[in-house]
Amino acid sequence: MLVQNTLLHMNTFYSTVKRGFLNGILITYKMVKVIVPCYIAIEFIKHLGLIEVISAFFKPCMSIFGLPGESALGLMAGYFINLYAAIAVITPLQLSSKDMTTIALMLGIAHSLPIETGVTRQTGVNAWLMLAARVVFSLFAGIVINLVWKLFS
Amino acid sequence: MEIIFIALKDSLALTLKLLCIILPLSISYEFLKHRQSSIEKKNFAVFGISGKGFIPLVTGIIIGLTYGAGVIIYSLRTTNTTKKEAFLILLFLSICHAIIEDTLIFVVIGANGFILIGFRFALAITLTYLLYRSRLFNAQFNGFPRKDGRIEQ
Repeated sequence: MLVQNTLLHMNTFYSTVKRGFLNGILITYKMVKVIVPCYIAIEFIKHLGLIEVISAFFKPCMSIFGLPGESALGLMAGYFINLYAAIAVITPLQLSSKDMTTIALMLGIAHSLPIETGVTRQTGVNAWLMLAARVVFSLFAGIVINLVWKLFS
Repeated sequence: MEIIFIALKDSLALTLKLLCIILPLSISYEFLKHRQSSIEKKNFAVFGISGKGFIPLVTGIIIGLTYGAGVIIYSLRTTNTTKKEAFLILLFLSICHAIIEDTLIFVVIGANGFILIGFRFALAITLTYLLYRSRLFNAQFNGFPRKDGRIEQ
């Protein structure tokens, strides 16, 4: 009886680990499909010298958050695609720790908006209101953390 | 041509780093699913969110909206949470979700994790509390109180 019970427990343990492992692989597979093309695209843009043009274009609005202009690309990728795309975009840009933290905070609050708004709608809550709240608080958090960081350094 | 190879190599290295974070997480999610029923039984309420609402809340904070969507939608629908409570939960989650995964993948590329977690928790708690307290929000669900103190539906 005891042996049987232990075996049963072991069984559920292994199947749980297995399910988690397979899920992890599945997530990673989805991630690779996004990261690799985004990474290559950004390296190309960098190579062609387009990054300076983009940087200069976005500089005025990104300076509100104390970020360099080219980080707008990462922010857009995060808002419209997902976090993995954003990571693939900002890693080759080699930003400072402060810039990275600011972007991470802004993207943490609002990301993959098309997908997650769909999820929110299914719970029966006003999805557009929630979408607006997320974007507003994301921008707000970016401004606040920039000011706070400057205050303490 | 050379750029593509370098980008490919770098992006795969990044994916590998992220895999090291995602695998242990996805395995622990599976274990967490078993524990959920024990959280459900605890009876407490913090700013308008009851014990029932705690499952979708905790799921969202730890797993995130995309992968936790199933659990969140299911538990919000089956445990007849009020519309008001659902809104508060979704507001909290919209600012503070997938706290482990999001933070770790940004720490890998150089962000400060403590600031990320601290700021998001603080912002989410403050906003949820303020909204729970605000008269305008409560009036949306209960009707405005009249002069004689009765509530207009």
